[in-house]
Parts: sequence; C-alpha cells; structure tokens
Amino acid sequence: MDVGLTMSNSAPGEESSFELAKKVIQKFVQRQVFSETKIELALVLFGTDSTDNPLSQDGQYQNIRVHRHLRIPDCELLIEIENQVQPESKEGDWLDALVVCMDLLHTETKGKKYDCLNIALLTDLNTQTNEESLEVIINNLTQSGITMQFFLPFPVEEDKEGQGDSERRDPGHPGTGKGLSREQKKNMELVKEMMLSLDVEDGLDEIHTFRNAIEELCMFKRVERRPVAWPCQLTIGSSLSIRIVGYKAVTDEKPKKMWITVDAQSHQKDDVKRETVYCLDDDNETEVQKDDIIQGFRYGSDIVPFSKVDQEQMKYKHDGKCFAVLGFTKQSAIHRHQFMGSQILKIFAARDDEHAGVALSALIRALNELQMVAIVRYAYNRTSNPQVGAAFPCIKQDSECLMYVQLPFMEDLRHFTFPSLENKKFTPSDAQLSAVDSLIDSMMLVEEDENGEQRDLFKPHRIPNPAFQRHFQCLHHRAVSPGTPLPPIEPWLKAALDRPEVITERCQDPLDVLKRKFPLTEVEKKKKLKTSAQIFGKESEESEAKKVKEDEAEEYNLANIAEAPVIVFISLFGCGDPRVLPVCQQLTHRIEQLLSNKNTQYYMKSITCIQAFREQSVKLANAEHYNSYLQSLKGSIPNRGLEVFWELLVQDGLTLISKDEVEGSTVSKAEANQFLVAEEQKEEAAPAPVEDTGDVDDLVSVQCLFLTCLYFYSNTCLCNCCDSNGVKTISCVSTWGVCDVLSSQI
Amino acid sequence: SKKQTWMKKQTMEHYQSWIGKIISSDKDLVALVFYGTEESKNPRNSFKHVYVYHDLSEPGAKRVQEVDALRGEKGAKLAAETIGSGETSLGDALWCCANLYSDIKLRLSHKRLMIFTCRDEPHGGDSVKDRQARTKASDLKETGVVIDLMHLMKPGGFDISLFFCDIVSPPEDESELGLQLQPSDKLEDLLKRVRAKELKKRALARLNLCLGEGINVAVGIYATAVAARKPGSIKLYRETNEPVRSKTRTFHTQTGSLLLPSEIKKAQYYGGKEIVMERDEVDAIKKFDDPGLFLIGFKPMEKLKLHHHIRPAVFLYPEEDEVKGSSCLFSALLKKCSERNVFALCRFISRRNYPPRFVALLPQNEELDEGKVQITPPGFNVIYLPFADDFRTLDPPQFPSASQTQVDKMKEIVSKLRFKYRSEGFENPVIQQHFRNLEALALDMMAPEEIEDLIMPKVDQIDQRLGPLVQEFKDLVYPAYYNPESKPAAKRKTGQSGAEKKPKVELTEDELKAHVQNNTLVKLTVPVLKDACKQFGVRTTGTKKQELIDALIARLRS
Repeated sequence: MDVGLTMSNSAPGEESSFELAKKVIQKFVQRQVFSETKIELALVLFGTDSTDNPLSQDGQYQNIRVHRHLRIPDCELLIEIENQVQPESKEGDWLDALVVCMDLLHTETKGKKYDCLNIALLTDLNTQTNEESLEVIINNLTQSGITMQFFLPFPVEEDKEGQGDSERRDPGHPGTGKGLSREQKKNMELVKEMMLSLDVEDGLDEIHTFRNAIEELCMFKRVERRPVAWPCQLTIGSSLSIRIVGYKAVTDEKPKKMWITVDAQSHQKDDVKRETVYCLDDDNETEVQKDDIIQGFRYGSDIVPFSKVDQEQMKYKHDGKCFAVLGFTKQSAIHRHQFMGSQILKIFAARDDEHAGVALSALIRALNELQMVAIVRYAYNRTSNPQVGAAFPCIKQDSECLMYVQLPFMEDLRHFTFPSLENKKFTPSDAQLSAVDSLIDSMMLVEEDENGEQRDLFKPHRIPNPAFQRHFQCLHHRAVSPGTPLPPIEPWLKAALDRPEVITERCQDPLDVLKRKFPLTEVEKKKKLKTSAQIFGKESEESEAKKVKEDEAEEYNLANIAEAPVIVFISLFGCGDPRVLPVCQQLTHRIEQLLSNKNTQYYMKSITCIQAFREQSVKLANAEHYNSYLQSLKGSIPNRGLEVFWELLVQDGLTLISKDEVEGSTVSKAEANQFLVAEEQKEEAAPAPVEDTGDVDDLVSVQCLFLTCLYFYSNTCLCNCCDSNGVKTISCVSTWGVCDVLSSQI
Repeated sequence: SKKQTWMKKQTMEHYQSWIGKIISSDKDLVALVFYGTEESKNPRNSFKHVYVYHDLSEPGAKRVQEVDALRGEKGAKLAAETIGSGETSLGDALWCCANLYSDIKLRLSHKRLMIFTCRDEPHGGDSVKDRQARTKASDLKETGVVIDLMHLMKPGGFDISLFFCDIVSPPEDESELGLQLQPSDKLEDLLKRVRAKELKKRALARLNLCLGEGINVAVGIYATAVAARKPGSIKLYRETNEPVRSKTRTFHTQTGSLLLPSEIKKAQYYGGKEIVMERDEVDAIKKFDDPGLFLIGFKPMEKLKLHHHIRPAVFLYPEEDEVKGSSCLFSALLKKCSERNVFALCRFISRRNYPPRFVALLPQNEELDEGKVQITPPGFNVIYLPFADDFRTLDPPQFPSASQTQVDKMKEIVSKLRFKYRSEGFENPVIQQHFRNLEALALDMMAPEEIEDLIMPKVDQIDQRLGPLVQEFKDLVYPAYYNPESKPAAKRKTGQSGAEKKPKVELTEDELKAHVQNNTLVKLTVPVLKDACKQFGVRTTGTKKQELIDALIARLRS
C-alpha cells in the first residue's frame, strides 16, 4: 500500500486516497480473520519515511517498509492497521515496492504448500518510476505464477481497446480522466502494459477502484464449510441397490463459535466454573451425589424409574446407515409445509462409478417423468434415529441428483383446527378485495423487463445472514477499538433487509387505499385486569360452583370464607408487630360487618373472630385493644338488636381479659365476670326486626377489600407458614402481599 | 344381569383403552363411576346403586392395572363380586358425578363426562327417573360439563332419540361448526390406543404482520409440525426414587466465591485475540428490530424452490382479539394470494433479540371432508427461507444420463411400487418403543408390547411385486461383473493397520510457540494437537480442533 505524500491529497469534502485504500485493506483483512481462512498475508508499505526491507542497499529500494511478514492475519494486524498505518511524507516507487513484495513471497513461501500467490497494489500512481525494470518484473511474475491486482483511486480508461464501457466511468471518482497528473498517466500505461502482458484473461478486470472494492468487500465472507460425503446404498427391495453419496446442500447454518463465559476482571475462562448440584426436596436441601441420580419418566401420576443402562438396552435398535425405498408416491401428496428437519440432502451416484451414475440417472429421470417421489427410510448411522423422508428428482443442466427432505412422523403432527374464515363478520367486500389486488400488483417482486426476461428484485438466498454480518462487525469493532460502545448496524445491511426502494414507492398509494378500506383498531390490553383475575380467580370459580350446589353447601362456604381473617389476624398479631393496632381495627371492622347480617351463621363467625382476638391478646399480654372493643360492642348491643348474638358470646364465656390473665389489664376478675352477667339482665329487650340477610357474594367482595387493606399495611406475607416473625423475604411475597398458601386458604 | 355381562366387558375394553391415553395427557383427572350396580360406594354414600370405582384424580399405573383386572372372564367375576348389578338411576349417577366435580379444589379448564352404555332406555320407561336424569344432566351442562355418549351397538340398534338426546351436550356453537364427530367415530377414536403426547393448541407468539406504515394485522404463530421427542426425564434419587432438584451456580475457580451476573462476561476467540463483550451486548448484537412480520412483497408460487428449506414451517392465523379487523384483512389477503397463486415474502423476527429471517407466506384454504370435518385450516403456512450462508458449495460428480430404455424400465419399477402417501402414516419407532418400555415398567409387564416398525421397507412384498423387473433393470444398467454391494476397492486397506501408522510427530516447545506466534496452529492435525496438549499438560474439555487450539494458545501465552 502506498502511504506516500500524494496519497493524502483529496478534493474538499472527499476522503483521501489514503483513507480509501486503508479501508480496502481493513475490510479485506477483516474478512480473512473472521472467516478463519488459512490464507497468509504480508503488508508492505511504500512512500514511508523510514526504510526497512531486505533489498535496501546502496540507496536502492528506499522508502519501502515491510510492515508484516507472511503470516495468517489476526486481530493484531487489524489493530496495527487501525493505529499504525498512517499517511507519511515520502515518495516510493511502486515498481520497487512490487519487487520487494515478489522477493518476500519468494523467500517466505519456501517449504510451504500453497494454491496461489497474489499481490494487491494500492496506490494513486503519482510517483516517479524506474520503468526500465518493467520487463524483468513481468517476466518474473509470469515465471513464479504470481497474479496481480491493482486498486486505484480512478478507473482505468479502456477507450484505446475500443470497448469503452461508459457505465464503468463513474463520475463520482475523483481524478478521473483529465485530472490525472503526468506521472499518473505514464504509470497508468505501465500498469496496463503489465496487466495485459501477464498470462491472465481480461487482465484489466483486475484493476479496481477503491470505492468499488470497498462496496464489494463490505460483506463478511460467508462461513465456508467443506461438504462431507456420506456414502451409502440406495436400495429398492432386497436385490436392487445403487451406490450413492449424499451431501448436505442446504442447512440452517449456525455460528461456528459459541460465546464462552469469562471472568469480568481477568477475562479468563478458566476462572469461571459452572456447576450443577442436585438436592432432595426436603427442608435441609440435602445434597445428592451425581452418581446417585437415576432417570425417571412420567407415566400418568407416577414416575417410573428407568436407568440409563436399561434405556440403552431396551431402546429401539436398527442396522445403521440406510437409504431404503419404501415406495413411490405422487409429488403432489407431499406438502411443502410438512417438510421436517433442518436440511436438504443431495444424493449423487458414488464418485467414479459410472454404472451407479447410469442407474441413479434412470431413477431420477423416471421419477421426473412420472412426477413422483421416492419415500425412503433414512438413517445416518447406527446411533442416529432413523427418519422417513422424500427423495425428489432434480435435473439441472450439468447434473442430476435426488433431493432428500425429512417428512413428519405421526407423532410430530398437530392437527389443530381453527374457526373458518368464511364467516359473515370477516368476509371482505369486493372493494376490499380489489384494494388487496392492487396492493399485490404494486408489490410484485418478480417482473418482466423489456426483453421479456424475468427480473427478481429481492432474493433472500443471495443475502448473507445478517446475524453473522452484525456479529463480525461488532467483534471487529471491539477488537480494534476496545472500550467504546458497539456501532450501529451498517447501512448497507439495513438496506439489504428492507423493501426494495422501487417497491416502497410503488406501493404507497395502494397502501393508503388499503388503510382506508380496512379499519384496524388495536384492542386495549387488559394486563392489569388479568392479574387481579388471577388473584381472585379462585373466588370467582368458587362462587360459580356455589350456585350449583347452593342449597346443600351454603353453610360450608360461609365457614370457609370467614376463616380467613382469623388466620390473617393470628399470624400478624402473633408477631408482636407494630401494625397490631391497624390490624385490630381491621378485625373489629370485619366483625362489625359480619354482625350487620343478622343470621346465626354470621354470628358464629363473629364469635370465632372474637375468640381468636381474645386468645391472641392473652398470649401477647396485650389486653387493651380487646377489652376496649368488647366494651364498645356491649354498649351497642341494644341499639343494634344483637341480643341473640350476645347470648352466644355469653355462652362461650368470652368476657373481658382480667388482670389474672394479663398483667397490664385494668379489669379485675370480678369485673370481667360481671361484664357478661350485667348484660343477661337486660334480656327482655325487644328483638329488633330481622333485616335482610345479605348475599353471599357481597361477603366475597368484602373479603377482597379486606385483603387489599391488609396489603397496605404490610409488604410481607401474612400466613403462618412463612417466616416466624412474619417478615419473609421478598420472593415469598406475591404482588398482593400474600403467599400461595394463604391465598388458597382464602 | 347376565345380558349385561357382554356389555360390561365391552365397556371395560373402551375404558381401558381410554385410560391408556395416560401418555397423551397425563395431567388430566379421571374418575370411573359405575351405575346400576348392586353395591354402592360414593363419597357421602347418599346414592344407592352408584359405585365410584376411581375417584377424580390423575390416573397412574395402579389404576391402569386395576382396570386391567376387570377385563376378561376373571375380570367379569371380580366385577360381579365387587360391584354386582342392580337398579339403574342415571339421575343419581349424574348427581354423584356433579359432586365429584365440585369436590375438586383445582380449577378445571374443561370437564367432560362420558356415558358408556348399550341401553337406549336405561330406566325401562320409568318417566320419573327419566325426568330426574334430564334435570341433573341439564344442571351439569349448566356448570360447563360436556356430556358425551359412548354408546355401543346393541341388537336392534341404539336409538338415541328415545332418551339420550336430552342428556348429551348439543354440538358446540357456530364458530366451531363441523368439528363434532359422529358417535361411532368417537368410539373409534377412543379405541385407538394413542401413544403420543397430545398437545394443546397454543400460539408460539402473537405479533403483528405489518403491510406498511400503520397497517398492522395481528396474527398468531402456531407450530403444526414439530419433531416429537421422548418426553423429558426426571432426575430421581437412586435410594428413594424421589425427584431431586438441580441447582446451577457459577463460581470463581480460585476464590470459590459465587459470581454474580455482573462479574461474568462473554468472549470469543478470533485471530489470536480474545474479544470480550458484556452479556447484554451479546443480546444487543442479535437485536435488529422488535418481533413481527414485515411484508416485503409478493412472488409467483413457482419462485419458491423446493430445496429452500431450513426448518419446519409454522402456521399463521389472525388474532381478532388483539387488533380488531385483522381477520377481515387477513382473509382478503389469503383469498387473493390463493387466487393469483402468489406467496407473500416477509421479514420475520420471531422473538425479542432474535435476528431476522425471510419467510414465504403460502396461502392455504380451508378444506373439509364429507363429514364437514376440517382437514386443513385456513391460514398461511410460513416457510423459512435460507440465506446465502446456508447453501453449501458442492462439486457434483458428472455422469452420463440414462437412456430412455433404462428410464422406461425404471418407470415400470416405480409404477409397481406406488402407494398413497399419508403424512400421518408413519409412527416414530424410537418414541413408540420408549413408550412401550415405560408402560411395561410401570405395569410390571414381563416384556414390552412389540412395535411395528412402519418405516422399515417391506422387502418381501417389494420383491414379490417387482418380480423379474429388478433383474431386467440390472441387466440394462450394470455390466455382468459389477456388484454394487461390494465396497469400492480403494477403501479396503491392506496390510496390518495400526502398526504401520504414521510415525508420531512430536513438536518441541519452540516449534509450538512458533506456530502460536504465526497463527499456524490451524494447519496441524487434531491428533498432533492432542499429543501437544498431553505433552504440555494442557487439560482440555473438548475434542474439537478449535478447542484444542484455544487451550494450547491459552497455555503458551501465559
């Protein structure tokens, strides 16, 4: 590469020749590095300030530096090109540089096997040259079989050859035509002379411009894989066999390399180890050795232990490699959407076996003429599972083969049924159909040009896998400029994946029509609702079930429902939590609600609540809340007509908590006893009219409310099974502050 | 009664085959209730002549065995002893079933009650009992239970209109029209002892098919053909056969401390350099756009090449619930594509952080059979198209083509071996064998049931059908001395193998270092690399060439 003075010249607003040439080299090396080819590469710079090459002697071969000797290119080289290859200020003779390169190739390929040698020269040709050596050089190149490529800032003029291709003369190229200096013109002649005298066809085609080269090199090389032959025999019955060889022709190619896990600091993969341990599902999570693990499979509700040894012994076994015809069927019986597997195999006759070639050809042609396929059993080898598949005939101009594709087994197919679209609600009108028609017209990707030839505007199978392209782009970026954020997707790649511009323009109007003709409204997502539905799903299901067995099961349901507050209360109260007061309030509120339904069943629940309240209060030696509530309750009995309820309370002896039970209590034992007795005397009070007993469903919604309130107080789970102090790690706490156990109880 | 013994036997057969579906949907709850029995056994013993043989729960091996025990002569005797036969009250039986359903604390996605009987007048004309049964049946149906009749043929025919037409659920609503099978079909369906996992219709993804700016059709992606595998195994503790849990953790080899995700990075080795990225960068690289289908254009159907296949197709159906109006536009698109014989080419990103693929949307019209049963659903089949990287360059061997005589002879052979291919015609022998093994182990059977390997060529039949054609064809294409079965001579190695192996190439450390320096390790063969690893005490986990090289480089650089 020429890095001399004139290379840095550029028209205003344009990249200099140096910049462009550097890009060409970068792209080229990049391709080699990431496709991991075995191509070796050396880099010789000329026009350098310093001189460093084996031929430099007595002022000859000056300003030429061998930057890198012949080696497989690596990331180092990419980094060096990025940082160390800079414009310099001397002039170098490109013919001299060529000699240095030839010498380098000659000496450094000694003892190596190689397919070809090539020199690519990137220069603006704006130097004085010693043209006497040209002939010798040409001779040497021809002798040692070195091919040449030139990369120049301007296109070669072919007018003299009389085949001037006007398209080639891209007006975008700077320094085209008359802009050339005298040296450039002279050198250009030399280049042409050299390229035409080398023993290559169309030598001038190997003279490229920087810009074209960059465009062509921008794609990372596709991942090349050597096809591996699979020799086998195609059999029809017991006595007809044809020697064949199969190759993977199309397959879902995966990236060659996996990401390895490394330590963030040392970037060493050996520093990181991943380990899987097995443990029993008990409280201690007892660890179990790997050797003590056996496999089991589910059979209904049972798990059947099935050791690997037994599996191996009992499993389906077969004779190994095979390509056996089961029969023949119409091609139309094979549905395209039922192709299975991830590959297409091409089956040829065994190499160098002409008889097999003829036999297979007969089969291929017979199938082709009958429009049929062979259904075959295919097994890759003894250890792989056998498949059923179809072998299609495929006849091309220069070769014939069978194309094998896997077909589904009965177990693979899922016969889903979908509602018919022939539904009045969805049937499109004629106007709508014609809108779609004109959209298809405007978006046809295959069209005939003036000559009646088909032109395909968009060929996915010509596009390199964008995942790989992007992957290598990012790897290259990280290798060359570490510590900087990843670059955006390259524009050419984006464009390659998009609708062709012609189509975009053409389909604009039909799309607008379509938009008007087909109203599309996004249905609002009900995510929020879903969560609450999940939470309360159980209850709604329960209430549904309740309707079914209303008469017989009402009692049972009520019992279920009122249990919950008690459990919640006990566990929270039991913690001695500062939130006791609000919880007491909630509980008493709940009791009041239960009491508003004048029904014995509800009374019983209230009693249970009060009982729990009392027990917990005694346990915690905190009588204050309980006593004050009970006193106020007593006071309200006559007004609310709750005498029947009070009677029950008395029966259960749920009196005030006395000093004897809890020290802090302000109530003596006698007072406590008196508390209930006093009430007994008022027994004759007129019973209040019985009110509406309320609805079971109302109760359920109250329930929810209650839970919601509780959640307000605590972000923690309230059930007994959680942590002893009621504050469990976040993981246990569902969105609603209750764990599964509790919510199921509710 | 004696008359019913035969029927009982039949019924048991059916039930047995049905419980055999244990493999297809092992999470289903099943109960077995006999009615018209002598003995009574039900939760609260409130119903006479109703015998709950199996409570509603997941069936296991024990149950399959218990049902098996009721089969045959011995089974009939056992049945007579345990349950006997007595007065029939279908109403009570239905009520009892209703209780079974309601006693279940789980949420059930659907409930199905199947009545196996051969009596079209179970109560012999007792109108009170008939009415009671009808009431209970309608109660059940109201709670979402689907009642099916699995009637057996009886002399004189089974007349549904006498009684059972009021008991069974009516065909489902209009939208699912034509899916109801004939009763006899249902039975046949049951008789097939299916050993395949039944799979729920579930969308892989719901996303938008974007035709242009602001024109988004909501579609669901469904997998209609997925390679079935053996169901996953469960790890058990050898001593107790209880399932174990696995925990995976990542830790630092030197310090032994657990590593947080933030303390881990990802790397790839290229051109002699470890290129390191953050974990989220690795994901970001794969992201091109949000999930969705983007219409590029249309192409005539013949442009879809047969060999453009890289993975099984998926199915597209509109999702009216996501975007209202989707079905209409989808339907119009489907109709027009099908009419004009074109497919739609789309760019497809199936999930978050997945790179794009191009797909062909092939229109598929709805097809019904004579019984109005859907054979193919309406929608688009999504065919994945390969990228340039997915093609491999082959060097096809060149041979002369066969002559027309040879081709004609082969055509005779092909015609003799014609058959009608049906995609569901072949069972996977590997999976079938596995299920039978499992069944044998679970039910303590002596040996697993034999499987029929359907993908084995029926050689005898083929030979018989072809007769002299094979020899005639062989005479046309193969010379007398040629034996296609013999291996090519070149492949046969002569002499003592092993002893004459190439002398071992041992590398000195300097040589190896030079290779590392020049990046020429790739030129060495795998055995040489392995030896080098051994020589320098490099422990490698892998055997792939790149892994060996990476290990060596890591060692020699340090």
